[in-house]
Amino acid sequence: MSHDHSHEAHGHAHVHHHEENFITKYVFSQDHKMIAKQFLITGIVMGVLGMLMSMVFRLQLGFPDMDMAFLKPFLGKWISVDDTTGFGKLDPNFYLALITIHGTIMVFFVLTAGLSGTFSNLLIPLQCGARDMASPFLNMLSYWFFFLSSLVMFCSLFVEDGPASPGWTVYPPLSALPKALPGSGTGMTLWLISMIFFIVSALLGGMNYITTVLNMRTKGMKMSRMPLTIWAFLLTAVLGLLSFPVLFGGSLLLVMDRSFGTSFYLSDIPVELTGGIERTGGSPVLFQHLFWFLGHPEVYIILMPALGITSEVIATNSRKPIFGYRAMIISLLGIAFLSFIVWAHHMFITGMNPFLGSVFMVTTLIIAVPSAVKTFNYLTTLWRGNIQFTPAMMFAIGLVSFFIAGGLTGIFLGNAALDINLHDTYFVVAHFHIVMGSAAIFGMFSGIYHWFPKLFRRHMNKAAGYVHFWLTFISAYGVFFPMHFIGLAGVPRRYYANTAYESFDVWMDVNQFITICALLGGLAQVIFLINFFYSIRKGRKSEQNPWKSNTLEWTAPVEHLHGNWPGEIPTVYRWPYDYSNPNYTEDFVPQNVPHEGQTDENQEFEHPHPTT
Amino acid sequence: MRKPFKTHTFTMISNFCMSLNPKRKLTFLIASLFLFLSASAQNATEGEKLFKDNCQSCHAINDKVVGPALKDVHKRRDEAWLIKWIKNSQKVVASGDAYAVEIFKKYGSVMTPFESLSDGQVKSILAYVKQESEKVTATVAVTTSDSPTSSVADKLSTNAMKSNINWLLIMVVGLLFVVIFLVFNILETVGRIQGHDVVNWSSINGFLLLTIGIGGVALSIWEFMVHAPLTVSAQKPASEHGPGIDNMFNITLLFTGIVFIITQVALFYFAWKYRSKKNSKAYFYSHNDKLEYAWTIVPAIVLTILVINGLKNWNKIFSKPASGTANVEVYAYQFGWTARYPGGDNKLGKHDFRQIGKSNALGVLTEDPNSADDFTSSEIHLPVNKPVTFKFRAKDVIHSAYLPHFRVQMNVVPGLPTEFTFTPTVTTAEMRTELNNPKFDYALLCNKICGAAHYRMKVTVVIDSQAEYDKWVAEQKPAFTKSVTEQIPAAKIQVTEPNQAVSNKPLASVK
Repeated sequence: MSHDHSHEAHGHAHVHHHEENFITKYVFSQDHKMIAKQFLITGIVMGVLGMLMSMVFRLQLGFPDMDMAFLKPFLGKWISVDDTTGFGKLDPNFYLALITIHGTIMVFFVLTAGLSGTFSNLLIPLQCGARDMASPFLNMLSYWFFFLSSLVMFCSLFVEDGPASPGWTVYPPLSALPKALPGSGTGMTLWLISMIFFIVSALLGGMNYITTVLNMRTKGMKMSRMPLTIWAFLLTAVLGLLSFPVLFGGSLLLVMDRSFGTSFYLSDIPVELTGGIERTGGSPVLFQHLFWFLGHPEVYIILMPALGITSEVIATNSRKPIFGYRAMIISLLGIAFLSFIVWAHHMFITGMNPFLGSVFMVTTLIIAVPSAVKTFNYLTTLWRGNIQFTPAMMFAIGLVSFFIAGGLTGIFLGNAALDINLHDTYFVVAHFHIVMGSAAIFGMFSGIYHWFPKLFRRHMNKAAGYVHFWLTFISAYGVFFPMHFIGLAGVPRRYYANTAYESFDVWMDVNQFITICALLGGLAQVIFLINFFYSIRKGRKSEQNPWKSNTLEWTAPVEHLHGNWPGEIPTVYRWPYDYSNPNYTEDFVPQNVPHEGQTDENQEFEHPHPTT
Repeated sequence: MRKPFKTHTFTMISNFCMSLNPKRKLTFLIASLFLFLSASAQNATEGEKLFKDNCQSCHAINDKVVGPALKDVHKRRDEAWLIKWIKNSQKVVASGDAYAVEIFKKYGSVMTPFESLSDGQVKSILAYVKQESEKVTATVAVTTSDSPTSSVADKLSTNAMKSNINWLLIMVVGLLFVVIFLVFNILETVGRIQGHDVVNWSSINGFLLLTIGIGGVALSIWEFMVHAPLTVSAQKPASEHGPGIDNMFNITLLFTGIVFIITQVALFYFAWKYRSKKNSKAYFYSHNDKLEYAWTIVPAIVLTILVINGLKNWNKIFSKPASGTANVEVYAYQFGWTARYPGGDNKLGKHDFRQIGKSNALGVLTEDPNSADDFTSSEIHLPVNKPVTFKFRAKDVIHSAYLPHFRVQMNVVPGLPTEFTFTPTVTTAEMRTELNNPKFDYALLCNKICGAAHYRMKVTVVIDSQAEYDKWVAEQKPAFTKSVTEQIPAAKIQVTEPNQAVSNKPLASVK
């Protein structure tokens, strides 16, 4: 416990810092560690909201004849209760609102801001060896724009006509015509305002991440020595910076169409629906191009940080170098590049020229290659490791499992000819919930359990972590695996009830099973929430380097200092994955430990690959 | 309409009788006799058809969909009012009718005006709604007759009690979690004092990873065996290009299935096998370029095979159709479908979205001579083994025409003409035998979120033999000649005679 002693020393060294008041320390903080916590907790709150919504619509889908009157206190007029029998039913319009807001919250607020916002903020300065972000002020703004965006989205739930409900992809004309859908009124306006704030937040954050990674690495931290987490965050930020502005433009045109009478996306819409002038000359498909130009990179904006976190967690807890470090970087670069030229695979049958479909099919299937490389490298990293089952490691293993399962179904959907019959069915729902929903959320959980000691200086309860993992893992597969078959039976997604077509009846029991699994998964998150919030205050105190990890964040003291390290920032002499290097007695060699004979001056010294 | 209506009516009524208690049965029998005599039961049958074509996508008897539940609507308002409302609700609202204004505010959407329905047709619909409402009341009466004392108040209090129990349950579960968590906490504290974990998590997790991981792979294979046969992909594809797609699906399934099993088993096996044990050490193995090349090139080759196969299929499906394929316009609107057939000239008349709902529901230009012989149908009929091109057109928002049995799907986009050419190869009758399900029907489903009743937006597709099809076509009447369109809803042409529209005569006499 010699570490504890050193904290004390650091603690005293900290005294000369100016005193911060509550507002500058907890609210308008410019410290990246505090901002990371703000992102995380806002993300968790939004995540709970999104999850509760999914519970409600799963009840509707699993038990369409259920009496929902008990939800009346929460959902108010969205539960219509029969006056004589007291029987409550979910409003079909509100069902659409639930799936729309669930999707929006999960994709943007939880898995983009909550995941990338938290861990990029926490880890980029700490793992690169920087005192803070390049611009702490912009970083603070990034959080507060995100907060504002969350607030607007939350408020939109209470609008008279209901929140936005044309699906999270908000395709016009449905999203542009309040007469076609009640949720396309004020609710949709708020949705767009919220998204615009969100994009501002993402851009401010992204600029900071990129600048910090490129300019503020400590001495010796060459690009080829960066942990894979940082590579993932860097490329994620680049993707965000290049693609979010396109959604911004797309959203702005939609705002114009909705509020100022333009027709960018509207064509041949009769007056009875527009309520004013007839709209013609635009193209609904244009919006889809703009949306998916962000939307597809967005999938990787969600997934890449999770993959980066997993690389780090798997290497640390296998006590082995990540297998094929360079191949991992190259595959990340490959995925990042290709993610920009596959967007129209969401649009094979939207009326786009079939020739374009064939081009996008080719690029889409190519992206499976770097993904396969990553999977095989993870497997080889586990092979002959000395695997420590920390909760973080369990979630990382879960991520790999989901990444495989969801990635493989992508090969079906990326194939334009197969997409004809699978498009917009439950097969798609299953695919993306496994590969970017479950996999990314598992990456996020893995990161939370792994870096909780860094965030909150305490540990989470391990046993509760395992129970959380097992219940979540089993229920996630229980929910999403059977959905593939429902999709193959031709059941469309976004149906309020699967009662319109008799041949869907055979899936009733499967739908019930899925709902039960979803409820189980929801309960598992209660364990996580108790564990998380309890451990912030009462968890076991952490030592400085609890996982015996190599990266620089664990060389910083447990106490949070403004500026991260009390003295000089450590110099980096080696790659981050010297685990179980036979030349050393300890099974880990932190990045700031020089090779024998290496000094600050002869930095060119490279990590020798021992002959094996 | 192929069902003999008399049998149908009879079974309906006898079912209805069965669901009544003896006391009401007699009254009902008398009533139904009367109904039968006055032929309004026939009206209800006619109404059922009209209801399904016009109203069902937005209304149900018991449930609120887009508009209100229609149970007992005849008790809420008189017939004259209802006819006015159904024909043009906005006129009633504009007239300042308090009830109309309230309904309009409450549901917030404009009901499609059905000015083309005749009074008689509206009455038939109302007769059907009335009949269905009584059915519901009868069932309720039967179920409640066991406990004659039960009143609405009782029921409401039972509901309140139920919801209290729900809350209690939630609280108990919440407490349970807290208790479990506290136990974990004690375990951890004890472990820390002892210097090692009380529970050997490493072996528990290792064991679970092995069993649940590998067991899970086994379970997925089991589920595949059980559920795959229930999917449409397992059924005989009903179109010419279908087998190509199914074949590709199987190839992809084979490759991905093998990879899925190998990688998942490896993942969980490695995790278990190499779990940390006392004195175990990891093997320092940082990279192997040959391996990296291997697992780049092998997937690349497999994917190339899939891409080439996919491109072939895709291009074949979307190659330019041979001239002379039959065209059928499939028109989508919130919330329904109408098929327009070109008639004898195989040319669809021009349309203009500005005319929608004016001279006819589809906005077809009657001055275009090509539209003179066009006819419409709310059921899609196609002859077997003849290539057909669906020309898609949407009125309001994006819909998607999804015909899973034919492996056909295409979005229907307002302002953007889209099409899909395919050849149906299995008639409805053949598919019924094949699936051993006499009630089977092909369907065209909406598969792009389009509003509250999206989930009800489907239409039956009938694949006829050539003879059946010719017969069906011969029964159709042009829909867009001026005299007809003034009186008749475009989609209902095959059901009623034009001159029937204004009269109140029961339809039975016409048949």
